[in-house]
Amino acid sequence: MDSIGLIRDFLKDRLGVEPENVVPEAALADLGVDSLMMLELMFEFEDRFGIKLSSTLKSPRSVGEMVSLMDGLMASQAS
Amino acid sequence: MSQRRVAITGLGLVSPYGGDLADFFSRLAAGESAVRYLQTDDLPRPLSIPFVNCPAFDPDAALGRPLASMMDRFAQLGMAAAFDAWDDAGLPRQADGESRDNWGVAWGTALGGTLAYEKGYRELWQKGRERLSPLSVILGMNNAANAHISIQLGLGGVSMSHTVACASSSIAIGEAFRRVRSGEATIMVTGGSDVPQAYGVARAWEALRVMAPGDAETSPTACRPFAADRRGLVLGEGGAALILEDWDHAVARGARIHGELVGYASTCDHSHLVRPEAAGQIRALRLTLADAGLSPDDIDYINAHGTATAEGDPVEVAALKAVFGERAERLPVSATKSMHGHLLGAAGAIEAIATVLALREQLIPPTAHLDALDPACAGVDHVTVARRGQPLRAALSNSFAFGGSNAVLAFRAVAQ
Repeated sequence: MDSIGLIRDFLKDRLGVEPENVVPEAALADLGVDSLMMLELMFEFEDRFGIKLSSTLKSPRSVGEMVSLMDGLMASQAS
Repeated sequence: MSQRRVAITGLGLVSPYGGDLADFFSRLAAGESAVRYLQTDDLPRPLSIPFVNCPAFDPDAALGRPLASMMDRFAQLGMAAAFDAWDDAGLPRQADGESRDNWGVAWGTALGGTLAYEKGYRELWQKGRERLSPLSVILGMNNAANAHISIQLGLGGVSMSHTVACASSSIAIGEAFRRVRSGEATIMVTGGSDVPQAYGVARAWEALRVMAPGDAETSPTACRPFAADRRGLVLGEGGAALILEDWDHAVARGARIHGELVGYASTCDHSHLVRPEAAGQIRALRLTLADAGLSPDDIDYINAHGTATAEGDPVEVAALKAVFGERAERLPVSATKSMHGHLLGAAGAIEAIATVLALREQLIPPTAHLDALDPACAGVDHVTVARRGQPLRAALSNSFAFGGSNAVLAFRAVAQ
């Protein structure tokens, strides 16, 4: 699964957010993702893709930023 | 400051029968048991016990998916019960201009988020995972239910949890009562919730040899308080909530008053962790009557702790006989645990609701399955079928916990 797919699945499962609303320009806060939910989302991401996020990572604010962050991390870990 | 009267303006619960409050009480009145046979798929050995659960409870429907996903089941049951009681009190969920800065929550739970921690152990030890979800802490913490209730209803006063085994929610209700009576809080949400089906918890209770056995056929009648053939208690999950309100505030807003909470006391046997002692219970009963300004002659119903254990039931009857003297023979007593089971930290709350409804409806719910009375439990008027027709002015609800903690609540009927 790609990054946006994982984010859509997660938000549907945890917050009941419809996948069509999970678009790159949507603000995560507007979708109901608070700091706790962000931690949980990061955890799910690490778990699913077997990678470790740096604890100093800056929290993304939009779905698009989240996708870029995830894609970047996966690319760097793969290389 | 002079003492305030304390009105009960909201009652709410997650009913094991699946219906609303009126349905819950009518089932109790009918002597209908909610106990069922529970068999789990736990490894290495499944649970196989009589149990009371709430199969119709749908956390997503009751709370909404985002809120429900931030809670362990004990907090979901508590939040749903609190919403139910709040709506029953006719209060808006969103603050409507009146300050709620001194409104608070006192919640009872014996186990808190044990189920959430147990899930964590399974992940680590059974599934071989190396780490846990960051939500585990906020799911598992014992004050999760009261914290969610304060947040959802915008309550700025005290928000606390009470963990006193089987007396947890009676003590929570009593402590909430004192805050309203003193004028410190205008409104308190109180009650309790628990989920004793955690595998390690249920197995631990089995090991104590106080759990009644039963299969698919016999489970509904497994809990038989005061009966000669009683075999022990039946655990259950649930959540139950009451809204306690400054009497003048309730009257001013035209709220329906279900009953009045008039007295509370708590004592400790200070002798043994699990063997109850009449002396501690007698002191709790007498202190509660004194706190309420009532005499034994004013009491028309006792909702007993009555768990159906071999040791507990006769000691409770002995305590009642000591306090009520010659009148004990005519004192109506019933143990509704025979039907809704023992909800541990929610037991006092669901029994407080049964007691308030008994006074409001002028109807005593029975002890179910009490066919042959144990002579050791004789000496009070055991109600075995629902009773109407005699005026019920005031009633007590008993909760006597492991650890020797005793709590008694006194309620007075209010003309409807």
